[in-house]
Amino acid sequence: MSNQIFSVLGLFDSAQQLMDAIPVVKPKVKARLDAYTPYPIHGMEEALGLRKSPVGGMVFVMGLIGAIATMAFELWTEGMDYPMVTAGKPAFSWQAFVPIMFEVTVLFACFTSGLGMLFLLNRLPFFRHPMLHSKSMPLITRDKFALAVEADGQALDVDAITALLRAAGARTIEVLEQPAPLGLISPNFLFRVVAGIAVSCFVAGYLTYWGVKLFPVAIPMVHMLDQPRLDPQREDNFFKDGFGMRMPVAGTVARGRIPFTIRKQDDASILMNPLPRTDDVLKKGRQEFTIYCSVCHGILGNGVPSLTAAYGAKPANLVSQQFRDYPDGKIYYTIVMGKNAMPSYAADLSEDERWSVVHYVRVLQRAMNAKDTDIPKETRK
Amino acid sequence: MSESGTTRVLAIGAAAGLAGAAATGFVSGWDRFWANWNLWFLFLLTIGLGCLFIVALEHVVGAKWSVPLRRVPERLASLAPLMGLAALLALVSLPVLYPWTIPKNLKDPAIGDKAVWLNVPFFAIRVVACVCLWMLAYRLFVSGSIRQDDDKDPRFNVRARRFAPVFMIIFGITITVVAFDWISSLEPAWYSDVFGVYVFAGTFLAGLAATTLAVLYLKARGRLPGVEPDHLYNLGGFMFAFIVFWAYIGFAQYLLMWYANMPEEVFWYRERLQGGWGTLVLALAIFHFFVPFLVLIPRGAKSATRGLYWIATLMLLAHWIDFYWMIFPVLGKGLIFGWPELSFAAFFVSTGLLWIRRAMTRGADMPVGDPFLREGLEFRL
Repeated sequence: MSNQIFSVLGLFDSAQQLMDAIPVVKPKVKARLDAYTPYPIHGMEEALGLRKSPVGGMVFVMGLIGAIATMAFELWTEGMDYPMVTAGKPAFSWQAFVPIMFEVTVLFACFTSGLGMLFLLNRLPFFRHPMLHSKSMPLITRDKFALAVEADGQALDVDAITALLRAAGARTIEVLEQPAPLGLISPNFLFRVVAGIAVSCFVAGYLTYWGVKLFPVAIPMVHMLDQPRLDPQREDNFFKDGFGMRMPVAGTVARGRIPFTIRKQDDASILMNPLPRTDDVLKKGRQEFTIYCSVCHGILGNGVPSLTAAYGAKPANLVSQQFRDYPDGKIYYTIVMGKNAMPSYAADLSEDERWSVVHYVRVLQRAMNAKDTDIPKETRK
Repeated sequence: MSESGTTRVLAIGAAAGLAGAAATGFVSGWDRFWANWNLWFLFLLTIGLGCLFIVALEHVVGAKWSVPLRRVPERLASLAPLMGLAALLALVSLPVLYPWTIPKNLKDPAIGDKAVWLNVPFFAIRVVACVCLWMLAYRLFVSGSIRQDDDKDPRFNVRARRFAPVFMIIFGITITVVAFDWISSLEPAWYSDVFGVYVFAGTFLAGLAATTLAVLYLKARGRLPGVEPDHLYNLGGFMFAFIVFWAYIGFAQYLLMWYANMPEEVFWYRERLQGGWGTLVLALAIFHFFVPFLVLIPRGAKSATRGLYWIATLMLLAHWIDFYWMIFPVLGKGLIFGWPELSFAAFFVSTGLLWIRRAMTRGADMPVGDPFLREGLEFRL
């Protein structure tokens, strides 16, 4: 392959001669034309018919993608996935994200212009460009102007082009051969570069992580630890009583909680279960019952769990007739206020969760007291 | 329309505008009169100062490309001395519009602490000093340049280049003083360090837009022979850059105040982001930044006559809206726009155009005595 032609060069004595030669040569060859001159010449791009560089469009599109992707990412992380109140601002505060969006836009645009120009448009890496080793190059850097007819992977009729260039006024002709590909540089160079960057990022990140973890010389963000503040459940001299934590103001009602004012279990009979008996509610009830109630009342609610025997307590058999006759409100009351050895579960279960548990207790009661007639006829044996 | 016909129309416009403006004072109140007056004189003053800055900038850096165009900003800069006189008249507006002139307001420490700077005698001294400095700079740059048309004395370029850096400092200080005194002190409790830079960004942009419009006007009438799209490209590029700069500074000011959320800073934005003013901010963002920014991105757009014409007009309009948005909320009458505003527009636009037409007759259309004129005409990208 080494005898394949890379390009045919014609050397001209002046810029004007070169500019005059281009319209002569251009219509007669199908190959790509390029010019090499000691200094930039106005009008050369138009004369050669070089297409407008697509770098601008690429940069614009990538910049736009950078801007939109960043804003969307911030919308997702801050506004949807993990909304967090910072400095009393709304979770999705677009103002705070504009600088980041701006930076990423610039980053995308710069990388696109740099890498896109180098790799996509200038077809780098292109080591050993034949022009660099040509005999004409020293002349071009001095006072000669070269017009190159480039093969660009196709076959060139060297004799015809030579004659054409001569007719157009070229003084010297040089034929450049396609260089043999370097063994080291394979066509997947770009892939190697990307993979190399990825591996280095991974290694650097991994080493940094373990380095900081194992040798904590510099604790990151230590200023956050140093700030004056009241820690929960810690002694503090800021308040006179020496506690860091405060009691809520009298009469405070926590969000989503309704104050429970009934103080006798019988009075609670009037309460109605506000939740419908849907699948979701019952599943929720089963989940909470299993977590909180089954430890003592047993997974079936019959007061026979694995745990209580060790403590000598006798938890209620929730599926017995006594509790089947209980109105919903009295069960609810017990969850909120506790009974005998049972503590209050008000802190653990929300309003809705308690009522779901009540529903589920009813399910257990029905299931544990099922009769043969409850079984559908067709499945009976 | 003939020259004298245009002059007559403008004179009638100015007279009618003046009559309407005077009626404003009696019918709609003097606060509205002076708000309009200050808005319009600041609008034209910043155009003039922006042009003076362009001239000085070209002298500082020794720009050659702009020499053929330099007479245009030089002539437009004549607005600066004229509007300096309008500023002297506007001293009457101090007790009407500026709360710090009322003694009882000084009891508020947020205003009282600034009384060292904000008091009528010192204010008047600053106004007079600024006007004198602008007139001095105008004489040096513009009158000197026009004299050079006849005597072809290259020593003018040396003098101008020596004085230009000094003027840069004078300009930086005076434009900040203009911004703080005339606009910012309408709300004396408010403060913003970057406000002077914000007004400077708008000023330079307004100067560029007016210059571009005038260049296109003269070029269409064949009065700027040899001015190529390459020259226009530089004007367009300048505008493009400073559109971004204005948005950058404007948003930076807003972002910091929004983040810190200090009452003495945010109230200014609070007033100007609610109701119709909020819509106006949106209009500013779109027409002072997004539209011109996106339109001017392609290379061809920066030298396209028609596109530049529209963008320059849009920038002047947006500059006016910018000032309107900063000044008019202090009236506390909401988003007002009616015959008083139109009268003032007629008066100031007609007067400004008459004044510029008069300036147009002074000297040649290009600085024919400048030794760098030929080099400037040969400028290509």
